[in-house]
Amino acid sequence: MGSWRLFWKKWGGSVMRKSIIFAGSNIRRAKGQTAAVAVLAFLAALMLNLWLMLAMDYKQNFDRCHDRLNAEHAIVVITDEDSGVRDCLAEAAEQDGRTKEYSIENVLLMAGSLPYNDGEVNSNFVFLEKEAALGRSVGKIEIVEDSSFTSGIYLPMLYKTGDVVVGKPVRISLSGQDVEFTVCGFFNSAMAGSHNCSMAEMILTGDAYESLAATGAVYNAVMCSVRITDKTKSEDYAAMLSNAVSAQYPGGFGVATSYALVTTSRYISQMIASSVISAMAFLVLMIALIVMASNIVNYIQENMRDLGALKAVGYTSGQLAGALLLQFLGIWLVVALLGIGAAYCLFPGVNSMMIAQTGIPYEIHFLPLPALLTLVLLEGAVCLAVWLVCRRIKGIDPIAALRSGVQTHSFKRNFVPLERARAPLNLALALKTMLSGMKQNVTVCVTMLVLSLIIVFSGVMIENFIRDSTSAINLIVGETADSCISIPAEKEEEFLRAMEADDRVEKIYLYNSLSVWHEGGAELMATLCDDFSQVNNSDVCFEGRFPKYDNEVAVAMKYAGEKKMKIGDEITLETGGRKGVYIITGYTQITNNLGKDCLLTREGYERLEKLQNLNYYLNLREGVSGAEFNEDVASRIDVNIYIDIGSVLEGATAVYISLMQAIVIAVLFLSLIIIIFVLYLIIRNLLSAKKREYGILKALGYTTGQLILQTALSFMPTVMISVIVGTVLSCFGINPLLSGFMSGLGIVKCTFIVPAGFTLAAGAGLVLATFLFACLLSLRIRNIAPKGLLTGE
Amino acid sequence: MEKILLKTESLSKSFSGGGILQHVLKNIDLELYQGDFTVIMGASGAGKSTLLYALSGMDTPSLGRITFGGRVISDLTPDGLAVFRREHCGFVFQQIYLIDGMSVMDNVLAAGLLVSRDKKALVRRAEELFRAVDIPPEIQRKFPTQLSGGEAQRVGIVRALINTPEILFADEPTGALNSKTGLDVLDTLTRFNDSGQSVVMVTHDVRSARRGNRILYLKDGAILGDCRLGKYVHGDKERHGKLAAFLEEMGW
Repeated sequence: MGSWRLFWKKWGGSVMRKSIIFAGSNIRRAKGQTAAVAVLAFLAALMLNLWLMLAMDYKQNFDRCHDRLNAEHAIVVITDEDSGVRDCLAEAAEQDGRTKEYSIENVLLMAGSLPYNDGEVNSNFVFLEKEAALGRSVGKIEIVEDSSFTSGIYLPMLYKTGDVVVGKPVRISLSGQDVEFTVCGFFNSAMAGSHNCSMAEMILTGDAYESLAATGAVYNAVMCSVRITDKTKSEDYAAMLSNAVSAQYPGGFGVATSYALVTTSRYISQMIASSVISAMAFLVLMIALIVMASNIVNYIQENMRDLGALKAVGYTSGQLAGALLLQFLGIWLVVALLGIGAAYCLFPGVNSMMIAQTGIPYEIHFLPLPALLTLVLLEGAVCLAVWLVCRRIKGIDPIAALRSGVQTHSFKRNFVPLERARAPLNLALALKTMLSGMKQNVTVCVTMLVLSLIIVFSGVMIENFIRDSTSAINLIVGETADSCISIPAEKEEEFLRAMEADDRVEKIYLYNSLSVWHEGGAELMATLCDDFSQVNNSDVCFEGRFPKYDNEVAVAMKYAGEKKMKIGDEITLETGGRKGVYIITGYTQITNNLGKDCLLTREGYERLEKLQNLNYYLNLREGVSGAEFNEDVASRIDVNIYIDIGSVLEGATAVYISLMQAIVIAVLFLSLIIIIFVLYLIIRNLLSAKKREYGILKALGYTTGQLILQTALSFMPTVMISVIVGTVLSCFGINPLLSGFMSGLGIVKCTFIVPAGFTLAAGAGLVLATFLFACLLSLRIRNIAPKGLLTGE
Repeated sequence: MEKILLKTESLSKSFSGGGILQHVLKNIDLELYQGDFTVIMGASGAGKSTLLYALSGMDTPSLGRITFGGRVISDLTPDGLAVFRREHCGFVFQQIYLIDGMSVMDNVLAAGLLVSRDKKALVRRAEELFRAVDIPPEIQRKFPTQLSGGEAQRVGIVRALINTPEILFADEPTGALNSKTGLDVLDTLTRFNDSGQSVVMVTHDVRSARRGNRILYLKDGAILGDCRLGKYVHGDKERHGKLAAFLEEMGW
C-alpha cells in the first residue's frame, strides 16, 4: 500500500499535475475549437442517452405495467351463442401445461369505431361491466382518471384525445348503430388498451352495460384471460386457444391477442424514434470524433516546435499524449454530463409523442445504466481517437522539430501549377488549398455524406409520411380504400346488386381478415380477396404474385424466412377443424400482424370454412363522402358495420405523422448545427494554419474578399462531390436501410418514394448553405493584416 | 526636374496600448522621386519600418496625407490599399515570406496573375527576371523550403518586380542573409535601380545604405536628415566618406 502511495506521489501525481497544466494551456489557446467540439460532443451525449433511455427502459415500462396489473399473456374473446364455448376455453386452458393462471368472464363484443385524433379509430371493442372489471384477478384494470359520473363509460388512456374528455359524451359506432355514453374516466390496461392490439377494452357502468346489451348492436361473448409460464410462447398459446374453440364451434366470431403482438404493436413509434435517434447519435459521435482528431493533428502540426522543445527537456511522448487525452477526456466528461441532463429535459416531449401510441403512462426517473453507458461509450471513443492520433507525437524528433525541420506539409507535389492552370486565379488557389489539405477533405467528406443521408431520409419522411402518406399507410396498414362495409353472407347478393347500380361506386372487392393456423407453425392472419388484381395496394405482395386459385397462398416474407419456406413450397393451413394444402405463390409484408400473415383467395379460404360475414372494400368517386355514403347504404341495406376508412386512417396515422414531423425537424436542425460547427472548426484551423500565407497574399495585393472566396471555394469541390455521391448512394440505400430498421415489424422491403425534386433542391441547398456558411465563417480573414507579417503579430 | 512619385504631408502615426499613447511618426513631410534609390536609416525604434508600411499602403496613417502620383492613398479602404499595392508596389521582406505550399514559379505567378491575365506574357517576364537574378529553371520548380537564403531572397525580388511596380519597397532585405548572399541581393537591387526602378529600402546596415542615392535619417519619429549621395558607383571613396560624415552628423 505504501509503495503504491510512493509510486503515485513520485510519478502519478507529478505526471498528472504536468498534464493538467498542459491541458489547461491547450484549452486556453484554443477556446473556440474546444467550444465547437464540446457542442458536437454534447449533442452526441444527448442523443445517445435519449436512445439508451428509450431502448433500455421505455419498453420495459410496459413490462412493469404488465406485472403491476397481473396482466394477461393471451386473451381470446369469442361469441358464446353456444354455452359450450366457456367450457371449451376452460378445458383448453386447464389442459395446457403452460397455463399459470386464467379467468373467464362474460363480456360484450363488437367491431366498431370511435373518435380519435380528429379522425376515427376502428377496432374490436370488448365491453366489460365496471364491478366485474375492477374485481378481476388476471388483467387488472387501473383507473387513472375518475369522476363522480355514475352512468357511462371508462375508456383506455390512449383515447383521451380531442373532445374525448371526462364529462362529455362519446359516440361509438357499432354494427351500424351509434351508441352514446358519458365519459366517466380513463383507465390503464396493459393488454387491451389500444386499437393496435386487435382489441380494445371499454368499461361500462352497470346500467350502461345492460342497456348496450339490450340494443342488440353487440354480441354476448366470453373472454378468456390467461397468464402463462413462458411469455415468449404467448402467440402460440393464443393460437392454441382460438383453434381449440374454432375446431368445436366454427361459427363463432372471435378475436385474440398475445403479449408478443401487444409489446411490438404498442411500441412501433418508440422503435422508429429509437432507431432514428441511435443512428443520428452515432453519426454525430463519428463527426465529433473526426473533428476532434483533426483538431489534435492541427495542434501537433502548429505546435511542432513547442512539442520538440518539451521533448528536448525530457518530456516523454506518453506525457504529451496524456495531456491531450486528459484535456479531451475532461471536456467530454463535462459535456456528456450536460448532454445526459439535457436528455432528461427533452424526454418529456419525446414521452408525450410516444404515449400517443403506447397509451401507457411513463414516469420519467433517473436511469443510471443509460447514463453510465453513455459516459463509457463517449470516453472510450475519445481514448481510442486520441490514442490513434497521438501516435504521431512519438515520431517527432526533438532536434528536427526545434530546427523547424519537420514540415507540416508534404511538398512533393505542386498541385494545380498556376503556370498551366486553366481555372481563374482564385479558383486555382482554392484548388491548391483543397488538394493540400486531405484531413480537411476527409472531415468535410464524411460530414457531407452523413448530411446527404439525412437529407434523403428527411425527403422520404416528408414525401411518404407528411405530404402524401399513401406509401407509409400501404406499408403500415396494408390495404386502404374509401369505405369498408361488413355484411352478413346472406345479404351479399342484394348488397352487390345495389352497389352495381350505385354510380358513386368506382370499384368494389371482398377483403376479409381471419385467423388460420399453419400446421407446424403459428397462427397467421389470413387476408382474403375475391380478386387480388382489384386491390389498391399491390405492393403488399412484393415478390412472386398474389394467389389466383383456391390452392394458392402468399405468405409474409418474415414468416417465410423464419420457417425457411420458399415460393413453390406447399403448406397446410387449418381453421374450423378442416385442413387444406396450399402452394406458396409470393411473399407479403405489412406491419399489421408483425410479419405473421398470408393472403388467400375467397375460394381458397372457403375450402376450409364458409365465410359468415363479408367485408367489402369500396373505392368511391371523387368528391363522394365516405361517411355519408356508408350511412346511406346502411339505411337501405341491413349491414353489420361500416367504416369510413379515410377518417380511420386520419386518426391512426396522426401519431406517425406528428412523430415524423418531429423527427424531420429535429434531424434538419441537427444538420444545420453540424454544418455550422464542423465548418467553424475546419475554417478556424485552416485560417490558423494559413494566417502567414494570407498575410503574404494580402501584402501582395489580394483583397479580403478574394481570400474569403478562395477559402470558401476550397471546400466546394469536396462538398459537391460528397453531396452528389452521398445523395445518389442514399437514394439507392435509403429503402434497404429503412427496411433494416423496420424488420422487427415484419417489413422486409421498403418501397418509399424518394422525392427527386426535394432531394435535388435540398442537395443544392446544402451546397449553397455550406458555401455561405464558409464565407461567413471566413470573415475572420478581415482581421489578418499584412503589416502583422512585419511586426510579427 | 525630378518627378514626385510619393508625397506625405504631416504624416503621423500613433499606437496605443496599455493606456499609453506612443507617437511613432511625427508630422513627416516628404517627397520621394521616381528613379531614386531611397534608403531610410535610423536607430531601432526610430520609426523606419512604420514609415515604410505607411508609404507602401500596408498600414494607414493616424493623421496626414499620402499621395501617390497625385492620388490620395491615405484615405483608401483596406481593399483599396490592396489594389493600390498590387498595381503600383513591389515588396521585398527581411524574412522573405515566400509561400511554402507553392513552387517558386507559383509564388511569382500568384502575384503576377493578380494584375495581368496574359499568362504567357507573365511567364515570359518571370523567366526574364529569374535569368536576371540568376535563378536557373530547375530551381523555379522547387519549393521555398528547398532554397538557400540567397536564392529565396532573389525569388522574393522577382515576385516583387513581376508586375513592373512603380516603386519597390525593401525592408531590411539582407537582414537574414550572410555577407556574400547579402551582397548579391544588393547588387540585384542596384541593377534594377540603374535600369529605372524606384526603390525605397529600410536598413541599419551602412554597407547596404551605400547603394542609395538618397539617405533619410529618422530619429524619434521625425526626419532628422536628408542626404543626397548621387548614383552608386562601386569603390567611390568620396561618396562613402560623404555618407559616413552624414551618419556621424546624425549621431549614428
